[in-house]
This record gives sequence, C-alpha cells and structure tokens, in this order.
Amino acid sequence: MSTQDRTPHLPRRKRSGRLTLAMMGASAFGLTACGQPPQEEQITEVDFDEPKSFQSVEECVAENVYTRSACEDSYKASLEAVPRYNTLEECEAENGEGACAAPTEEQSQAATGSTGGSWFMPAMMGYMVGSMMSNTSRGRSFERVYQEPVYRNRQNQGNWNTASNQATQRVSQRNESMRSSVAQNRRAASQRSGFGSRSSARGGWGS
Amino acid sequence: MLRIDIPERKEWKALAQELGFHFHTIDGEPYWKEDAYYQFTMEQVERDIEAPTEALHEMCMELVDKVCHSNALMQRLALPEHMWDSIHNSWKSGQPHLYGRMDFAYSGDGPAKLLELNYDTPTSLYEAGFFQWVWLEQAIAQGILPRHADQYNSIQERLINAMAHLGDRLEARTLYFSCIKDNAEERATVHYLQDVAVQAGLNAPFIFTEDIGLQAGAEHFVDLDDQPIHALFKLYPWEEMADDAFGEAIPQLNTHWFEPPWKAILSNKGILPLLWEHFEGHPNLLPAFFENASSPPLPAGWVRKPFFSREGSNVELITPAGQREAVGGPYTDSPWIRQAYHPMPRFGDNHALIGSWVVGDRACGMGIREDVGRITKDSSCFVPHAIV
Repeated sequence: MSTQDRTPHLPRRKRSGRLTLAMMGASAFGLTACGQPPQEEQITEVDFDEPKSFQSVEECVAENVYTRSACEDSYKASLEAVPRYNTLEECEAENGEGACAAPTEEQSQAATGSTGGSWFMPAMMGYMVGSMMSNTSRGRSFERVYQEPVYRNRQNQGNWNTASNQATQRVSQRNESMRSSVAQNRRAASQRSGFGSRSSARGGWGS
Repeated sequence: MLRIDIPERKEWKALAQELGFHFHTIDGEPYWKEDAYYQFTMEQVERDIEAPTEALHEMCMELVDKVCHSNALMQRLALPEHMWDSIHNSWKSGQPHLYGRMDFAYSGDGPAKLLELNYDTPTSLYEAGFFQWVWLEQAIAQGILPRHADQYNSIQERLINAMAHLGDRLEARTLYFSCIKDNAEERATVHYLQDVAVQAGLNAPFIFTEDIGLQAGAEHFVDLDDQPIHALFKLYPWEEMADDAFGEAIPQLNTHWFEPPWKAILSNKGILPLLWEHFEGHPNLLPAFFENASSPPLPAGWVRKPFFSREGSNVELITPAGQREAVGGPYTDSPWIRQAYHPMPRFGDNHALIGSWVVGDRACGMGIREDVGRITKDSSCFVPHAIV
C-alpha cells in the first residue's frame, strides 16, 4: 500500500465517517458522507480490506501486508488510546490485579513523544491495523482506519483460543464418563433440532 | 434532550427496502419513525451516556468475575448447574464477547438510570448502527438537519474492528451465524451481523438454530453438511440453549460461542440486585432486590421483572401515584426481582428509552425506542437521534 498515508484531521465527531454494506443491497447505495471528508473530496465508493490484529510492530511488519510506517503509526495511535494511570494501584483497581505495567521506553516514546514521566497502563494485548480504500473525486486513495485496541486488557483477552482449548480439555477430561454415556445414546448420523425447540411457542429472542 | 418534529426524508421507504430494512413496518404498524428525532447536546452524550456506560460495563465485568468464582452466586442467578463449568472456563480463558446494550431511563436532567442489560441477544442493532446513520447523513444532505449535526454512533465501525480482531483467532477465519426460523426481524439482524463480519474479512455462513447438528464422536457441533462448527454466533438466549435437548452437550464440545457462556450471567435480571449489592448508591443504578416468598405485594413506586424476560414481557409496575401497568407473557417460571420505579421522560404520548451500545469493551452509540406505555415492548418504535 501507499507509504504516503494521509492522516485526515477530523473535527471531533461521535459518528463514523463512512459506512457501507457488503451484502444487504448497498451496492446500489451511493451516499455522500456529509461534511466528511472535508472540502472538495467526494467519496464515491468504499472498500474495506481485511483488518488484522497484531501483538507487536514486528509481527505486523513480518506479515508483509502493511508498510513498516503503517504498522508503526497504527501502533502509536493504539498506544495513545490506551488509558494511562499515575500509579500502579489506580491502574490495577480498574483493570484487575496483575493486568498493568509501566510502559517500556519505546511505548512511552510512542504514546507521549517522550521517555520521561512515570505512568502505568494496562498491558497491551494487541492492536488493529487495517485500511480502507476509497474512490474519491481525486482518484483512488488509501486511508488507515483501524488503529485502536478493541478490547480492554482483562485477564487473557487476546489469547482466548489457546487458553480456552486448555480449559476445554480440562472440562473434557472431567466429563469423560458423561460424554461416553451421551455418545452411546447417539446414532451415528447427526441429530438436529436440539436447539431452538421453543421457537414456535415464542415469537423471537432478540431483546 | 428534546423531541423535535421534522419532515421525513423523501423516498425513505424505498431506500429501506433496498438496504434490507424490511421490518421498518411490522404488522402494518410503523417500527421506524422519522417524523421526529431526539436531540442531544454533546455534553449529554459524553457525560451522561457514554461515560456511565463504560463505567457500568466495568462494574458488570467485575461482577462476572465474582459470580464465576462462586457457586452460591451461580445458584442465586438460577444458572443451570451443567453450565457452570462452561461459564467459568469461558471467562477464565478470556473468551471475548461481541456486544451488549444497556437500557437507560434518561431525561437530559440528572444521571441516566440503568433499567436493564441486554448482553446476550441484544437487537435493534441494524437500525441503530446503520439505518440511523444513513438517516443523519441524508437528513443533512436534504437540508432537514443543519450541517454541523452529529450522532453518537460508531457502532458499525466498532463491530467491524471487533470482528476483525476475533477473525484472527478463529479457525479458517470462519464464524457461523444463526437465529431461529420464521422470524424476519431476527434474520435481518443476523444478516446485518454477517455483513459486518464479511466487511471485517471473515467467512460468515448461516445456519438456522434448529439445523445445528450433534454427531457422535464429533468434537464440535456440525452444520448441515456435518462439517464442524468451530465458532458460532447465536441470536438465541443462553437460558434456553442450556435447557434445550443439546444443552448438556455444550460443555463437552469445543464449539466457541458468541456471545460466550459467561454472558449468561449478565443476560439475567438477577444481575440488577447484585449490582446494587456491590455498588449501592451508584448514581446510575436503581435500588433492586431479589423477590422471595415473604416479599409483600408490589408496593407503589416499584417494578417487578422475571429473571428471564424479553421485550418487556411479564413486567409489572406501579408508579408512585399508584398507576399500575403490566405486560403479559410466558416468562413465569423463573425467579423475580424488584427494582425501584424511575420514570422515563415523556414527550407528548411517548416514553423514551435509551439503548446504549457496548462493542468490545467500548461504549459506542445509542438508539432510542419510544412507546405510549411505560414498558418498552417489541412493538415500541425506533426514533433516530442527533447531536445538535
């Protein structure tokens, strides 16, 4: 992708700049986002690529999808969005015991532009990088959009696949006897209609 | 917070049809209404809705942790025992959730009061996240709203972020989506979530809840081709899943669920008295208690709700002035809670309820429902909002 990332300076706003639908009929939907982007540019079409999350700048670079500067910029923007605390206690009070750390020099530099100062933050579990490709009145351009931590850093968030598999293994062992008894009662073919049985009795489930 | 009459957009119904919003009118009654909008100031949104939503979300997460470590609390919330391991493990292993919605009574004056959490199967998502956004953009373009108008709504953008984040952890970047048969509104909501997932680079196949299969010896629930379902989004409540024929198999199989089993703790109105016990006096909470056999008849100024109820069913209230309102329904087989009555703001004949969205762990938008009654129901209308 282009190394000439333009970082638009947006007015403070509470709504997304642009939205589109991929499947629900929005292909016929030509909407000009008002006041955004500013001035003469008119968005005519927007595509998202597949944003990815990474644990570190090096991991992002190694993926060979984004330029180093895009990886670094996104990392820096993510760090800027991470809440900062004056003391470890304050941070742990909000994020849980053991969930906080002092920033490394590199993180401190990225977040505040200086290595000085003493502060704490929830340990970073990863950050998002992605891009949005827009056809505009000035031609085709790329802009970064995904650049913030999605989840607060709580427990093992971010590692859930491995961690839950381990947990599931423990459960599986504990339920070994239960499993075999259930298995005996099953036919070899799949059973269906084991969920949703009450749907006829009630109209729906959304709340 | 004001309710302001405005002209509708030209041709909005045709646009709604084109954009998959087929339930803008339900049984001949309007569901989406745009002959008025709710107007907020930026301060009201940020100070009174966004910040309290994030604070309450953190309090909820703290409670989930407590409940996960206490069989007594699991019991108090009437969570079925065969689900305890799944609930505990899904939390301990940090299985991420996707979204939730808090319902607030808020008038623009004084703190928003949490009426309930919809953290397992929240709906009104498409209309809040997408169609409401389109309304604002077009209303500005058509001169109905001033150019500087804004909206508290990055719901879809956050959903794409969250989905993309999950996608990296999913087998083959695949997340199945499901809801029950014969419900157009829920199918549309799930269709929207599939759309969001596709935009985040996921594979997003669909299977009806009733078609999910269980196969001897398989490690996962299976799809209609008997292929393993590694991860599944369900617009179907945990308390019903746990009770269904396949409920006992959930803890034994490796299928990952969205929302994860720990959401069962929050999709249960028993969480409201627990919140009050742990954070009594918090400005955004209403006093709430578990009802028991010796509880007196419902006094004036109180609301009675079953643990498990959707769309206002089986809710009963008596205002401080003694007016009684109640909605019937099938949810009579679970325990009940009582919550102090707090009036929703009234604009003409309408009571307005704020739905405040959380995606990942961030507050990110809101949608307003209004009803002539004091209890918000599935027939309550969606009215857009703007920050002006």
